[in-house]
Amino acid sequence: MKRINIEPTEKAGVYRQMAEQHGTPLLLLDCDKLAEQFNALTHALPRVELYYAIKSLPHPAAIQTLGALGANFDIATSGEIELLRAQGTRARKTIHTHPIKRDKDIRDALRFGCTTFVIDNIYELEKFIDYRHRVGLLVRVSFPNPNTPIDLSRKFGCREDEAMLLIQKAQSLGLHVKGLSFHAGSQCPDSTNHVHAIKQCGKIIDAVFQASAKILSILDIGGGFPVEYITPVMDIQTFCQPINAALKELPAHLHIIAEPGRYLSAPAMTAVSRVMGKAKRGDATWYYLDDGIYGSYSGQMFDHATYPLTIFSDIKETQQAVLAGPTCDSIDVIAEQITMPPLDIGSVVVGHQMGAYTSASATNFNLFDQAKIVAINVPELANSNITLLHK
Amino acid sequence: MKTYTETLYDSYGQEFAVDKVYFENKTDHQHLIIFENAKFGRVMALDGIIQTTEADEFIYHEMLSHVPLLTHGNVKRVLIIGGGDGGILRETCKHASVEHITQVEIDDQVVEMCKTYLPNHSAGAYNDPRVNIVINDGARFVRECTEKFDVIISDSTDPIGPGDVLFTSDFYADCKNCLADGGILVTQNGVAFMQLDEVTTTAKRLKPYFADQTFYCAAVPTYIGGVMTFAWASDNKAYRSTTVETIKQRFNAANITCRYYNPAIHIASFALPQYIENALAADVSE
Repeated sequence: MKRINIEPTEKAGVYRQMAEQHGTPLLLLDCDKLAEQFNALTHALPRVELYYAIKSLPHPAAIQTLGALGANFDIATSGEIELLRAQGTRARKTIHTHPIKRDKDIRDALRFGCTTFVIDNIYELEKFIDYRHRVGLLVRVSFPNPNTPIDLSRKFGCREDEAMLLIQKAQSLGLHVKGLSFHAGSQCPDSTNHVHAIKQCGKIIDAVFQASAKILSILDIGGGFPVEYITPVMDIQTFCQPINAALKELPAHLHIIAEPGRYLSAPAMTAVSRVMGKAKRGDATWYYLDDGIYGSYSGQMFDHATYPLTIFSDIKETQQAVLAGPTCDSIDVIAEQITMPPLDIGSVVVGHQMGAYTSASATNFNLFDQAKIVAINVPELANSNITLLHK
Repeated sequence: MKTYTETLYDSYGQEFAVDKVYFENKTDHQHLIIFENAKFGRVMALDGIIQTTEADEFIYHEMLSHVPLLTHGNVKRVLIIGGGDGGILRETCKHASVEHITQVEIDDQVVEMCKTYLPNHSAGAYNDPRVNIVINDGARFVRECTEKFDVIISDSTDPIGPGDVLFTSDFYADCKNCLADGGILVTQNGVAFMQLDEVTTTAKRLKPYFADQTFYCAAVPTYIGGVMTFAWASDNKAYRSTTVETIKQRFNAANITCRYYNPAIHIASFALPQYIENALAADVSE
């Protein structure tokens, strides 16, 4: 989609109705879309078991929807554990993937029942000595990717040559390393780095077996599956085809998992805000929306995302415009140097692809309320009071 | 079918069919559930770990109470740390010679809930006039306690969560101070095959305070992975030379009915599998 899309006012009906019913700012979470994305990725990666990275959109309806489809969950904090616990998620369906943890984080996860953890350095390995009979570890390996907006191998992950040393050290401490993980980068333009990382991990897995007859059984290929904001991206089948080809070269016993977040959640949520004021400043008309950079549009700051927007107007002529957020800070601007028909105060502005890293990183700056999330098409759960026990 | 999966270990575990959930509660980051299973009756699990079941609890509770009580031979005062389900209390109350029992449980809700949902564990023992229930942290209780006991029984959860202070060197030292002359401390110490270093760590921490320290064993089906060990600590080395005849006499005199415990099992339970002996020997020579 384009950055600014102009639709006739008759198309605004459903958004206006939701805005009136629930108030704005609003985020509409469509669980059917979430399910559609999960099914598309499952189809594109037939050998891979998916662990939803709930950090991208930690919402109960998202957990319920994906859980009902058989998804597993990637967790990183005790807060995320509490969210899953409240949804009755089985702990065996979770892995804890934060490479750096406090002792309490480890204990909280174990007490929940999550026993798979990720490490990438010796200090982190040593934190598990007391829990060595209870846990299985993944070693996160770094494969830097200069071609992505967010290089997830800078802050975390050991060098390839360090992986073997960590695994040997773990063995000497009586700790079980059961596999490797990597993150090829976020919003990858293609799967070149995934393929490279899979090949290199295959070599490490082989080298570990040659050196010590130790069988690594899990490879976690992370995330990075792209979604379209305002720039077209490769379709998911085409993106995953080289990954599947690379996985075919790995030993058949290897269990392959992935941690998609953005790919599942981004298209599932739509922001609805309204113009709360406007002013003519210089050549441009400034429109002040009730949601902005400190709210649902925080991803423009933290996630390097630019969301496609839709306004509704039947007027042909256009003007210079700026769309700003509601706070008192001057950096709170969503879009500037844009051209569009004039809007009235109270008009609805819609943001698309706003499920991932939007509300997740929204603030309460100025004590403005965060956008309310309204979930639609939530799957019905039978016996929801004892879902913990569901297979 | 509804199931409950234990998550004690990453690569191995047990699963129960759940016929009916009696109670499920989450308090202060603890998750507690009591459910019905066809083979084990009522099963209680805490934070993904099986705590006790109606069908096999007798093995654990009989061994953790009758072994120290009948070895001592003249127990008047007993201190129970933990044991909120009441099973240890039930077995201890069977000894008519015992005059006083203090039980220290950190969470009064556990006691009430077990009375309601696992009534066969305590079997009315909480109403025994010899019993004094104290709601307190067990570690703090022994630290501040000025009374003396002939036997201290630590019936704790595993060393992750609130029970972990009951596995420290300080706790063992404080227990020593609460023991009368000839007193015995016993503690639940996990399944040695799965967690061998719990045995060596406990041995290392207990030995500085007691003239005699060892372990004894029993296999409890739902504490999976082999025999469970109970730590034994006392200043009286002669206890372990007690003959089966003496134990038999005391057992008969006490007139107690058991389903797992008997004098022959009592004596035999101190024989440790060689892998445990090896681990203890290796740790000493380190």
